[in-house]
Amino acid sequence: MKNFFFKIYMLVFMALVVFFMVIIWKVTFAHILHEYHERHKTQEITKFKEQREQKPDKTKFEKVILESEERVKNYLGYRILEEVRIKGHFHHIGFDIGPDNRSYCIKCHGDMPHDAVKELRAFLNMHAFFVGCETCHVKLGDSNKTGVFKWYDRTTGEIVASPVKRGSPGSFKAKIIPFEKSGGAIQRVDSEERINFSLEYKQNEKTLSEGQKSRAKKLIHQIVSKQPYICEDCHQKERPLLPLENIGYPRERIDSITSTEVVGMIKNYTKFYMPKMLLPGDEAKKQ
Amino acid sequence: MNLTRAKKICFIFSLSFLILISDSVQKTSFAADIGNCLLCHKYPGLSRVDEEGRMRLFFINESIYNNGVHAKVKCEGCHTDITEIPHKAAKKVDCLVECHIIEPTTETKFSHKDVATFIKTSVHGKVDKIGNDKKFSEDYPSCKDCHDEPLYRPLSFFKKVRPGISEASLGRCRVCHKKDDFIYQFYNHVTTRLHKSRNPLNIAEMCGRCHDDSSLVTRHGLSTKAVFSYGETFHGKAATFLDERVPDCLDCHVNKGESVHQMLSHKDPLSSIHETNKGKVCATIDCHPSASPKLANYGVHSEFNLTQSPAQYFFTFFFIVLTGGTLLPLMGIIFLDLVRRFFPHATIGRRK
Repeated sequence: MKNFFFKIYMLVFMALVVFFMVIIWKVTFAHILHEYHERHKTQEITKFKEQREQKPDKTKFEKVILESEERVKNYLGYRILEEVRIKGHFHHIGFDIGPDNRSYCIKCHGDMPHDAVKELRAFLNMHAFFVGCETCHVKLGDSNKTGVFKWYDRTTGEIVASPVKRGSPGSFKAKIIPFEKSGGAIQRVDSEERINFSLEYKQNEKTLSEGQKSRAKKLIHQIVSKQPYICEDCHQKERPLLPLENIGYPRERIDSITSTEVVGMIKNYTKFYMPKMLLPGDEAKKQ
Repeated sequence: MNLTRAKKICFIFSLSFLILISDSVQKTSFAADIGNCLLCHKYPGLSRVDEEGRMRLFFINESIYNNGVHAKVKCEGCHTDITEIPHKAAKKVDCLVECHIIEPTTETKFSHKDVATFIKTSVHGKVDKIGNDKKFSEDYPSCKDCHDEPLYRPLSFFKKVRPGISEASLGRCRVCHKKDDFIYQFYNHVTTRLHKSRNPLNIAEMCGRCHDDSSLVTRHGLSTKAVFSYGETFHGKAATFLDERVPDCLDCHVNKGESVHQMLSHKDPLSSIHETNKGKVCATIDCHPSASPKLANYGVHSEFNLTQSPAQYFFTFFFIVLTGGTLLPLMGIIFLDLVRRFFPHATIGRRK
C-alpha cells in the first residue's frame, strides 16, 4: 500500500514538473518564437503594402462575417457588463441567448432568415426568436395534425416547461415547435430523422451532383408549405393557430395577443404607415 | 390575396404585436420613451441582415439604457427622421444633432458639435491642415468606432468600499431634493465624471481595435502596436488587473484639462507627448510628482521586436535565454530523477 501511494505521489510530482516546464517554455523560448513570427508577419505586410493599396483591404467574408462580432467586457465598477460587440452598433445589448442548436433550418437559412418583405422582416425575425420555423412554415394535413405545440430549449433541444411567465416577452431561451401524428403516436415535427437527413445532406453537399442536390433539397423541404401561416392565424380570438393557454400564456397576455377591440382603434390611426407587406416578394419589388 | 385583405392582415398583425408587448412596458416605465418606441424595440430578436450583409439589431435593453448618459434623451432626439409608427428604415444617426436637452450654463440646446471641431484638428481628423483628405482617410475613426452608449460608472463615497451608487449619499440628497429620478441621474452623472468614464482596460481595448491592427499600423507607418506594447509595461499589467488608478492611453496622450478629442500627433509641439513636453506627463501631481523629466525618456511603447527596439530586444532576449536555459534543464533533470524513482530497476538494453 505504501508503495502504491508512493507511485501516485511520484506521478503527481511528475505531472507538476511537466506543467511547470510548459509554463517556463511559454514565457521564455515560446515568447522568442512568437516575436520571430510576428516580426515576419509584419515584414510580409510591409512587403505587400503597395498591393494592398490597390486591392480591397480584405475579402468581404473576412470583413463582414469574421470581424463583425467580438465579445467585450465593460467594467462599470459595480458590475461587469459582458456582451457581444457588433461593429458599428451603438446601444448595449447586454443580452446573450445562445444559438438554437436544435433547428436544422437555421443551419442553412441562419438565425435571421426573413428578408423578402422590407416592412415586415424585422418583426418576423423577432418572432423567429421564440417561434420555431416549422410552426409557421409547416401546415400539417388533417391526417397528421395534432394541434399540439410545445416549447423546446434552444441549447439542449429538449422539450421544456413554458417559459412565458418567467421571462420578459420575446426573450425566452426556448422556442415553440408543433407536433404531428406519426404511426399512431405523436412526435415533434423536427424529428431526429429529419434532422439527421438534413445534416447528412449538409455534410455531403460538396460531393453530390447537381441532380442529387436538387432531390435532397426537395425532400428536406417536403414538409414546408408554399404559403406559411400568416399573422392573423395566431392573432385572432376565434381559433388562433397556437393554443396559447396550453403553451403557458396567461389570460391577460392571450387577451392582448388576440384582442380585436384595438383593431378599430388602429384603423383610425391616420398616420399609420401601410406597407405593401403581404405582396409576394417580386410583386412588392415592382411597386 | 388582394390588397384590401393584405392591409387588413397587416393591421391585425401590427396591432396584435403592439398589444402583445404593451403589458410589460407598462410595468417598466421609461422616462425618455415618449414615443413608446420600446413597444417594439424591447424585443431582443428584432433584427435583420442589411443589404451590405451587416447584422442590424434593433433591440434596446431598457435597463442598461436607463443607466447611460443618454437616458434622458428621447429616442427622436437622435433618430430625428422617425416621425411615424411603424417607421421606414431609419437614417444613420448624426451625433452632432441638437437634442432637446438644454445645456444649463449657456441655456442652449445640447449638441456634440464642439467635439467635431476638436477631432478635425486632432491626429484623428480625416483631413489635413489644408483641408485635403489624409491618406487612408477611411481608417480614421468616426464616433461609433470609439464610443458605444456611455454608461454611468458612479462612485461611492460612503466608506469607499466599492464603486457604485451610495445609498447613504442618496439619503443626503433627499434632504433637499424631492424627485428620485433627478437625484439618481444627477448623482450618477456627477460621480461618473469625477473619475474615468471608462476603465483603463476598456480604454486600451478601444484604442487597440485600430492601434493593434497590424495592417493599419503598417499602412500608416506607426512605430508600434501601441496597446500591445502598453500591455507589456507595469501600467498595462496593472490595467489588466482592472486597476483604476493606472494611466491609460488618454492620460498621456491628451493635455491635462483638454478634451480627449484634442489628441495631437507626437510631432506637434503642442502635444503632451512631444519631445519637449513628455517629461511633464510622468511628473504630474497625480502620478510621479517628484520624478525627473528624464523618466519619460524610456521607451514607453518598446516592443520585444528586433526591428523596432534592438537594444531592448537583445537585453530581454538575454534574460529570457538565461531564465529558460537554467530552469528548463533543471526541470528536465528533476523529471528524469522522478522517472528513475518510479522505475528503480528499469534499464535500456541488457546490463553487462
